[in-house]
Amino acid sequence: MSTINPVVSLLVFFSLTILLYYVFRPTKGIYFLLKKNYKSKTKTIIEDILKLLYHNQVSNKNLTTNDLTDKLNYNNQLLIESISKMIENELIYMENDSFRLTELGNEYALQIVRAHRLWEKFLSEKTGFDKKEWHERAERKEHELSVDETNKLSELLGDPKYDPHGDPIPTKTGKVAPKKGVSLSELSVGAVGRIIHIEDEPEIIYKQILAEKIHLDSQIRVVENNRMRVVFHSEGEKFVLAPVVAGNITVLVLENQAVSEENIMRLSSLQENEVAKIIGLSKECRGENRRRLLDLGFVRGAIVEVDLRNPLKDPTAFLIKGTSIALRENQASKILIKKE
Amino acid sequence: MSTKNIEHIIELSKDLRWQIGDDFHDVLSESIYAEASKIVESSVKKDDQKRRFRIDAQIDKIVTSKVWGFPIMLLLLGVVLWLTIIGANYPSSMLASLLLDMIHPMLKNGANFLDFPWWLSGFLIDGVYLAVAWVIAVMLPPMAIFFPLFTLLEDFGYLPRVAFNMDALFKKSGAHGKQALTMSMGFGCNAAGVVATRIIDSPRERLIAIITNNFSLCNGRWPTQILLATIFIGAVVPESYSSLASLSAVIGIAVLGIFFMFFFSWALSKTVLKGEVSTFNLELPPYRPPVFWKTIYTSLIDRTLIVLWRAIVFAAPAGAVIWLICNIYIGSESIAAWLVHSLDGFGFLLGLNGVVLLAYIVAIPANEIVIPTILMLTVMVVGIGGGAGAGVMFELDSVTATGDVLKAGGWTLLTAVNVMLFSLLHNPCSTTIYTIYKETKSKKWTTIASILPVIAGFVVTFLVAQVWRIFS
Repeated sequence: MSTINPVVSLLVFFSLTILLYYVFRPTKGIYFLLKKNYKSKTKTIIEDILKLLYHNQVSNKNLTTNDLTDKLNYNNQLLIESISKMIENELIYMENDSFRLTELGNEYALQIVRAHRLWEKFLSEKTGFDKKEWHERAERKEHELSVDETNKLSELLGDPKYDPHGDPIPTKTGKVAPKKGVSLSELSVGAVGRIIHIEDEPEIIYKQILAEKIHLDSQIRVVENNRMRVVFHSEGEKFVLAPVVAGNITVLVLENQAVSEENIMRLSSLQENEVAKIIGLSKECRGENRRRLLDLGFVRGAIVEVDLRNPLKDPTAFLIKGTSIALRENQASKILIKKE
Repeated sequence: MSTKNIEHIIELSKDLRWQIGDDFHDVLSESIYAEASKIVESSVKKDDQKRRFRIDAQIDKIVTSKVWGFPIMLLLLGVVLWLTIIGANYPSSMLASLLLDMIHPMLKNGANFLDFPWWLSGFLIDGVYLAVAWVIAVMLPPMAIFFPLFTLLEDFGYLPRVAFNMDALFKKSGAHGKQALTMSMGFGCNAAGVVATRIIDSPRERLIAIITNNFSLCNGRWPTQILLATIFIGAVVPESYSSLASLSAVIGIAVLGIFFMFFFSWALSKTVLKGEVSTFNLELPPYRPPVFWKTIYTSLIDRTLIVLWRAIVFAAPAGAVIWLICNIYIGSESIAAWLVHSLDGFGFLLGLNGVVLLAYIVAIPANEIVIPTILMLTVMVVGIGGGAGAGVMFELDSVTATGDVLKAGGWTLLTAVNVMLFSLLHNPCSTTIYTIYKETKSKKWTTIASILPVIAGFVVTFLVAQVWRIFS
C-alpha cells in the first residue's frame, strides 16, 4: 500500500482549509469581494450619493464635495466621475459650493429610500434575520430592486406606512408621512412619551440600543436628564443611556390626558403566584411570532400567570386560558401586562 | 360599473388604508380575539372554578425540578435504549435463523430444483432476497420495541416536559427544545426522527433538526459499534476491564454524535439557515394515561411498518447491486475487487481501507448490511477461506471469528476506531435521505443533509489517522 507521510498530509490539509477560509469567509472572502466588484459600481455610487443628499436635505443640511468624499467610502476618482455624470443627467446641481437634488433626483432618491425601507420591513416580517442585519442587507438590496419589484413588494406587505425602525416609507407617488416627535435627549424630567423611532445608523449606537432591549412603541417617563446620562422608566424597567445614544431615539410626547396606561410591565418580569392581565403585544413582536402568540391567546384582556419555572431558567411556562404555554424570555419581554 | 370606476375605488381604498396605518390589522385581529374570549367567558361553563390543583402540577414540579429533572430524563432514555438493544437481540436472532438460515437455503434448493441458471438464482436469492431478509431481521425488532415505548412516553405527556427542560441548551445553538425529542427518536431510526420533526412548527428550527438528525446513532449502527468495540477496543485493556472499556467506547461515540449535533445546529443557524423564519412556543399538555393497545397499534403501523417498507424498497436494489459487482468481471477482476483497489489509496488517507469505503457506498440503503458486506468483501479480496461465495453477505456467529477475518483484511486498532467514527459520521441511509426530501420538499436541503455528515466524517477520520500515525 502506498504510504503518505502524515505530517505532509496534515500540512496540505491545513493549508487547503486556510485557503478555502480566505476565499469563502462571509462578506470579506475573496469570492464575495470579486462578486461585489463585478456588479456595476457606478449605479451603486450614484444611488448612494442621491440617498445621502436626500437625507441631508430633509434635515436642512448642505453637502459639499468634501463632505461627500468624507461620508462615502468610495474611491475619490470614481466619486468625481459619478458626480459629473449625475450633473449631466440632471439629477443634481450645484448651488453655493453645495449639491442640491433636482426634482428628478429627488424622485430617484425617494425610490431608493422606499426600496430600502420596504426591504427592511420585509426582512422583519417574513424572514428570521436578526435585527442587527436588516440595515446592511437593505443597503445592498436597495440597488437591486427595480421600481416594479418594489411596488410588488409593497403590495405583498400590505402597503406598510412605516419601516421596522419607525421611519416613514415613501409611497409609489412619492408621498412621505411627516416625521413627528423629539429626540429623547431633549425631553425634560417628568415628560411622558412614546418611542416612535429608533435610528439604525450609526451601527455602534444602534447595537447599544438593541442591547438595552428598548422597544419601539413603548411608553416612557423621563426621570433624569443631564449631560452625563438620560434615565427613564418604561414597562416596569429602568433604563440608563448616554445622551449620544438617547439622541438616536425619537419620542412622541404625550399630553396628560393622552397617557393611556400606567404601570405597564413586561410579562418576563411576572413572578410566581402573581396574576396579571395582558395589555397587548409590543410593536417589536413581529410577523409569524406575533400571529402565533395571538393564536395562542395572548390577546388584550386575557389573564395570565406563571405555571412553571425551568431548571435552566429559560423558558418559562405561563398559564393562559387553561393551557400551559412555554415562552422564551425574549418573547415574554414583548408581551405587556398589568398586575391585578 | 366601468373598469375605470373600479380602479378608482381600489386606488382610494389603498390610499385610505395607508392613512389608517399599520396598527389597523393588529387592532382588528386583537379585538376579534378579545370578543371571542368574551363570548366564551359568558357562555362556556367550567367545572373547576378553583385554582388549578391537579395531579399534573405535582408531577410537573418533580419532572422539571432542578434536582430531579435531568436524572429522570437520562434514566428514562437509558432504560428505553437498553430495552431496545438488549431486548431486540432475541427476536432478531429468531428472525435471522428463520429468514437467513432456513428460508434462504430452501429458496436456493428450490431454484436448483427448477433448474434456474446460476446467475438468476444468485441475482434474485443471494442478492435481492438476502439484503431484504437481512434488513428485516436486524431492523424490525428494535423498531418494534423502541417506537411503542417512545410513543407511550409521548402519549403520557412526558416528552413536552423534556423539551421544556432542555430548551435553554438547544437555544444556545439556535435550535428548538423539541429537537431533544427528535434527536432521541433518531437513536431509534433517523428516518423516523426526521418525520418526528413535524412537531417543531418553526421553519428554521425544523430544518436544523432535520439536517442534524443523522448525528444520532441509530439502531442500525449500534450493533456495528458494539461489535467493533468488543473486538478491538476491549482487547487493548486487561481482560477484566474489557467489557467496561468497550461499553464506554460505544457511549463515547453516541455522546460525540450529540456534540456534533449541537455544533452543526449552531453552525447552520449562523450561516445558511439564518434567514429562515424562527418562532418559539411549546405547549405543555395535561398528563393522561396512555391508551396502551391503541398506542402500540398506531406506533407499529405509523412508524415501524412505514419505515420498514421504505427500507425494504431501497434494500432490494442494493442487494442486487452488491451481488452484481461481485460477479461481473472486467478482465480478470470483479468490479468489486477493482473498486476496492482503486479506493484503497483514499481509504488509507482516512485510516480506513477500500473495502470499508465500498461497503459504505453500496450499503447506503441500510446501515444494517454494512458489516455483512465488509465481511463478504474482505473474504473475497483477501482470498481467505470462509464466507458464502462472491456477492453473498454473511455474518459469523462468533465475535472472535469475525475479528480474525477483519484482521486478515489488514485491520488495526486505528481502522476499527475510524470505522466507528465513520459509522457515526457518514451520509444518512437512503431511506432517511428520501424521507428528508419528502419532509422538506427541497433538493437543496436534502443535499446539504446528505453531504454534510460525510464531509465531517472525512475530516475527522483523516485527522485521527494522521495524528495516530505521527504518535505511533
